[in-house]
Amino acid sequence: MSEKSKSKRFKFPEETSVIFALLLLIGIVGAMRPNFLKPENLLNLAASYSISALLAGCIVYLLAMGEIDLSFGWILNLSAVVAGLAMIAGVPVWLSIILGIFAGGMMGAINGALTVLMRLPLIIVTLGTASIFQGISLISNKSGSVVPTDEKLRSNIFFRTLGGDIDTPIPFILIFVVFCFVLLHLTLHKTRFGYRILAIGSNPEAARLAGIPTKRIKILACTLMGVVSGIGGVLFLGFRGAVDPSTGANLLLPVVAAAIIGGTPLSGGAGTVWGSLYGALIVGVIGVGIVFLGINAVWSTLVTGLVIIFAIGIDQIVRVRKNRIS
Amino acid sequence: MIKVMRRSRWTAVALTAAMVVTAAGVATPAQAAPKKLTIGFVVHVIGNPFINQIIEAAKMAAKDLNVNIKVTGPAGAEGDAQLTAVQNLAASGVDGIATSVPAASMVNGLNAIIKTGMPMVQFNGLGVGVKAPYVGEKSVESGRLLGKMVLDKIGGRTAKGDVIVGNCFPGFPVLENRQKGVLESLKKAPGIKIVGPSDVKVDAAANFAAWQGLLAANPDALAMVGLCAPDVESIGKVNAAKPGSKTIGAGYDLTTGNLEALANGTAHISLGQTPFLQGYLPVYVLVDSIRNKIKINRARFLDSGTEIVTATKVVQPFGSAPLTFKKLQKMSASNKKTRKYYDKLVKTYVKDWRKNLKPISEESA
Repeated sequence: MSEKSKSKRFKFPEETSVIFALLLLIGIVGAMRPNFLKPENLLNLAASYSISALLAGCIVYLLAMGEIDLSFGWILNLSAVVAGLAMIAGVPVWLSIILGIFAGGMMGAINGALTVLMRLPLIIVTLGTASIFQGISLISNKSGSVVPTDEKLRSNIFFRTLGGDIDTPIPFILIFVVFCFVLLHLTLHKTRFGYRILAIGSNPEAARLAGIPTKRIKILACTLMGVVSGIGGVLFLGFRGAVDPSTGANLLLPVVAAAIIGGTPLSGGAGTVWGSLYGALIVGVIGVGIVFLGINAVWSTLVTGLVIIFAIGIDQIVRVRKNRIS
Repeated sequence: MIKVMRRSRWTAVALTAAMVVTAAGVATPAQAAPKKLTIGFVVHVIGNPFINQIIEAAKMAAKDLNVNIKVTGPAGAEGDAQLTAVQNLAASGVDGIATSVPAASMVNGLNAIIKTGMPMVQFNGLGVGVKAPYVGEKSVESGRLLGKMVLDKIGGRTAKGDVIVGNCFPGFPVLENRQKGVLESLKKAPGIKIVGPSDVKVDAAANFAAWQGLLAANPDALAMVGLCAPDVESIGKVNAAKPGSKTIGAGYDLTTGNLEALANGTAHISLGQTPFLQGYLPVYVLVDSIRNKIKINRARFLDSGTEIVTATKVVQPFGSAPLTFKKLQKMSASNKKTRKYYDKLVKTYVKDWRKNLKPISEESA
């Protein structure tokens, strides 16, 4: 076969195996519990996991850069608290939303600036800032839930649309998150900013010598993570109608797992935004499947962990073999 | 290369499928009988000794009433994960759901499920605004009682000194209510200085470390008062590690470890919230309301009572049979003994649950 015909041969996208695994999992749970396959159930499932999927889509940027953020759950929490408190204080809803997202961006920028200034890995910096953001949130919300209960607020289009009071064939939050994924994908793979992130993750020293402003890109990527976490917080507030002191506390594992299951390596230099979406859905299907199949609660954590470790392990095996051969 | 990758990925897919099928194999045996009613039971944390007592009681109710029960909940207390578990149970076709409500962000989602006609009962953690009955303690009142008992032990209204207060989960509504009650009672002694409330964490090891640090920083404290299940045991260990410590230890729940601390004198007061009723009653209410077509889509309060326990005295609620401390200790380690002891309560208080419904405002009165 000539080189030309080889290059013309159809190539499956990188995420094909993840999509297939997702469909297979859905198929298995559906075969055993047909209720699971009801379209409204699948849509609700996707909507429930959409915020963690959105975060997974963005953490791909940091993983691709060889970094990891431990604070995004608390950025989400504090952004939602800022937006919620602003709404309760009488600030117009649209302005409160912007304030929440802006707060998220600022927190992300602080993470990035500290990483660059202190010359420390992001994981170490965010170990501290996660606690700071959580602390500020607890002080701001007086260790209680923030619930915008005012009728005028509840009847606002923001709460009605996200909260499901307005019937749409597909939950609005899902449409919005898919739109964000398109943007995140295009930014990572079709812009100079995206290429620079991948270059830094691949070889930071080479990237610096090639003239890439690595410090600025790091701060920008952290700020983007903050903005997306802020959007996640605002979406959460609209979707659930309240934010609790514990909101975001347990997002780290499912979000990072989703990105890694989706095919983004921890070693940096590569990343797939769409893969993280499928990874998040796999994490979701495992969670829902455990309930549908009636797996005892005592077993469920073990089963979840095993399936995640297994998926990550297999992906790693494939990657190592690929590297050896090439 | 492509072949190798394809082979590995296909292997991955096949093994993932195998794991899911195997996981399905560890499904509860009760799952097999489709004609029985199935009740979903959702707790806010798995692996906590106190919550386990509630789960065991719920399973006893399911056995007594000949229904299936699906128990689930997140590994760490987080409202959104718990709401997702409730939604999943509803979608899986259970006939009724009992859930604790530790987070305000669950309220809208739960009401949406109730709106579809799903019978629901709340327990242990009350969601303000959830249109379903709630089984739990009178949280502020039990805090007042604990505060009063501590105050009595340290010298009453004329007591002077520091009292350390720890909250393992700041923001958790029931704990905030207990805290309010405790502080209300302690404030009756003007010479008392409250240290905290400090975040003493829910994890047992972190909880112990927090109490250890608090006592080290306040070595002359008159009392340490915790609001959560791991506190009494931790306080007992901290007191035991400080020979001659006269600090009074007080807190909540009658887990085996807490009772041991009371027995060896390293802690002094523990209030129970009758976990048997918090597990048994929600399942009973659900099954009774489904079988007899009783509507329960209103927020009402079913008091689970407060148990008062010291090393020398046990006071059980609702006129239950007298209990010695030793019997209580044995009971806490045996489901069979627990069920036998509460049999009278099941035949009276539980059976007549409709007569015992009170306005929801009484929970925090």
